[in-house]
Amino acid sequence: MKTLSRQDLEAIAATAPGTPAEWIRVQLDTGGIAAGAETVHAALTQGCAERGLVIALRRAGSFGYSFADPVVEVQVAGMPRILYGRITPELVDRILDEHVRGHRLLEDHVIATRRRSVALTATVTQLLVRDTGPEAGNKSEFFQSSFIEELKRRGLADQVQVVRAFDLGIYDEGAVVQLLPEAVTYANVLAPDVARIVAESIAGGKVIDDLLWTTPDKQMRIVLRNCGEVDPDSLEDTVHHAGGYQGLRRALFDRTPEEVIAEMKASGLRGRGGAGFPTWMKWQLTRAQPAPQRYVICNGDEGDPGAFMDRSVLESDPHSVLEGMMIAAYAMGASKGYFYIRAEYPRAVERIDRAIQQAREHGLLGRNILGSDFSFEAKIRLGAGAFVCGEETALIASIEGKRGSPSPRPPYPSVRGLWEMPTAINNVETLACVPAILTHGGAWFAGFGTETSKGTKVFAVTGKVRNAQLVEVPMGTTLREIIHEVCGGVLDGRELKAVQTGGPSGGVIPAPHLDTPVSYETLQQLGSIMGSGGMLVMDQTDSMVEVAKFYLKFCVDESCGKCAPCRIGGYQLLQILDRISRGRGNAGDLALVRRICQAMQKASLCGLGQTAPNPVLSTLRYFGEEYQAFIEGGPSYARKVSRAASTKAAERASPAVAEAPATSNP
Amino acid sequence: MKTAAPASPVGLASNDEAALLDLLENLKQRHGFVPREVSDEVSRLVEVKLERLRRIRSQLDTTLRRDVQQHVTQWRDEEGNLIMILHAIQNQHGYVPREVAMELSRELGVRLARIYEVITFYHYFKLQPPGAHNVTVCNGTACYLKGSGDLINELRTQLGITEGQTTPDRQIHFDTVRCIGCCGMAPALVVDGKTCGHVKTTEVAGHLASLRTKKEAVA
Repeated sequence: MKTLSRQDLEAIAATAPGTPAEWIRVQLDTGGIAAGAETVHAALTQGCAERGLVIALRRAGSFGYSFADPVVEVQVAGMPRILYGRITPELVDRILDEHVRGHRLLEDHVIATRRRSVALTATVTQLLVRDTGPEAGNKSEFFQSSFIEELKRRGLADQVQVVRAFDLGIYDEGAVVQLLPEAVTYANVLAPDVARIVAESIAGGKVIDDLLWTTPDKQMRIVLRNCGEVDPDSLEDTVHHAGGYQGLRRALFDRTPEEVIAEMKASGLRGRGGAGFPTWMKWQLTRAQPAPQRYVICNGDEGDPGAFMDRSVLESDPHSVLEGMMIAAYAMGASKGYFYIRAEYPRAVERIDRAIQQAREHGLLGRNILGSDFSFEAKIRLGAGAFVCGEETALIASIEGKRGSPSPRPPYPSVRGLWEMPTAINNVETLACVPAILTHGGAWFAGFGTETSKGTKVFAVTGKVRNAQLVEVPMGTTLREIIHEVCGGVLDGRELKAVQTGGPSGGVIPAPHLDTPVSYETLQQLGSIMGSGGMLVMDQTDSMVEVAKFYLKFCVDESCGKCAPCRIGGYQLLQILDRISRGRGNAGDLALVRRICQAMQKASLCGLGQTAPNPVLSTLRYFGEEYQAFIEGGPSYARKVSRAASTKAAERASPAVAEAPATSNP
Repeated sequence: MKTAAPASPVGLASNDEAALLDLLENLKQRHGFVPREVSDEVSRLVEVKLERLRRIRSQLDTTLRRDVQQHVTQWRDEEGNLIMILHAIQNQHGYVPREVAMELSRELGVRLARIYEVITFYHYFKLQPPGAHNVTVCNGTACYLKGSGDLINELRTQLGITEGQTTPDRQIHFDTVRCIGCCGMAPALVVDGKTCGHVKTTEVAGHLASLRTKKEAVA
């Protein structure tokens, strides 16, 4: 295979990216495949062969729209790019016949683009409608037929197709209409507006200002820039269509290692694994340590349950993470790197492995990379299911092939890490930011975010939320914007009770604090942490005592047992919480809980023990009355609560009874 | 005198225990005792058979050793290779069998205790063979909030076992997992490697039934 050179990359950077006019792309990440994306891909291959259709069928990672898996994207000449959600193999024939051949969109599956326009220059060809009001009074069909009627009256029905959309990215704003191809969007459309839209915008080509949706999308994709856009198994695709390895080229040839670190300092990037330590400083400290060998480690041991952004980035854009690691290695003078990835993520491991192989074949790994004097090798090490291995010193022990027990710091890994050598450990997301910073400059990155927290952050928003998905927003975006505006609010229109961030090391943030801008400091003030980016939405039916117990149980199970505060304190805490939740707590329990929590925070050896009490303390801080109610109400109250929970579970299950036989007979 | 008679029937009986027993019974009835020649012959047969079995066992040992050696060679020059070798072994067997761990200890020159120290620390490594089929409930936070607890209870009742156990017929192994990263489809259930999303308690029986029919098809 051909070795890439500096000149090749420069030539690619100079030419505008050209993409073939027609393709169908299936998003194949773990979530998509679990929802059946592989069968959809197979059906597409077969369908194209049967019809003799010549259209490029591509594979991609995930865009992050987990709620819509499996997702298929279609680009046909003369039509806008269309994203379809919840595609089944049965719908494949319709995509090929109606969309690819007939140039007509499918009903009820279109996910509208978030890049909305405010100017109308091209002729409108499609119209997406959706009633985003309360689900019960859904008037999407009414608006669709009204538009069709109106278009017929004006003789435009043949030129403009009216389609009900699956998701428009705008919620609780009445009927929303999007005019394609330019994505001019109108919200809160009422029945009398239909005639106006058709007359002024579709026939007249003018934007109606009083209906226009001008709020720009809250999202900003830096880490996720290539996710869903490139084939993760293809180096060529990343290099030719996504600016892959251009950051590395700039680092190697236009900057000294010190300048790379200075660029990182200018960007203000802080570690995305949770603690938020400035990345440039970590690199600087590792570089400053005299040693025959330095290591860089990518921490892909995403143990936080309910978070999946690292998995998604590793699976969807492995080359960017590898490139970030190489830049880091160049900056700190390391020649070896390790990817530490959970064994529970086999697909991420497979794709990183392939990325490393391809990079090696193209001369991007090995000796004298791109003709420079920089040499680097990357390897994979598998995690084996221990949450504590996300902690730096435990992770190092695990790579060394030992039990993942943490050791006291200092010495920090940047002084004495892997095999006693200076080591920098960076999170997947941190490394994925690096090539973009080198390409666009540190100042550009620092232009997003707040005073102390720069750039963007990816969150995996899950739990009781309408659209569970990956969200990447600039730091400083409020929780309300993330949950209500981007993800569509709470599931089934219920009331939000709290948001949990930071997983088992984090805490809950109650509804009154929803307008807090997200940054490392603000979340800490609220008694939670940024963490790796899991964001769980909880509604009024979730008991906070149970939630605290759930997280604590997790930490107790995962405690390595090396130090007493974590091993014994966690267990005792769990016993007391269990007692309280069964209504057998007594008046002194809450004070005792607080004392144990304090002891654990102060005396534990590593981050796991120090942060394990966080979920307990924060639920106690904001929902202390729930604990009180259990203590005062006694066993009868506890039984009442658990009975209420099980009836709710039964209610959740009962609507399924009708459809159960269909799904249970494969 | 009587030596000629037993020699040939004993030879015949070498792979037919029932016939051999008959013969001995016969001799006992006829003579009141088993002649020395016959008992010697039986002992010889036992040795032959044992030797044959020993050869099979040593063949097994060699395959086992060769397998372990293969894994070790692949990772020989890597520092800290123990966990990666254990991964390779678990991928091959579905768990880490004791004999393999012992062989590995010999091969690497690492004490068995050190190997077990690592195996038992990590959840991912198993010491028990898995069931023929596996049902795993994701118990990540997103799944927990959306009712993975109900799924676990339903499976407990349906299978009559708790997490981490295998049904008495060794057919279905039931376990929970921390998080499989499919939080968008919570609650999730993994049935023989296939992930099912948005699972309702009423669907559990169907999934189990499909496994049981698969089992019959295999049998």
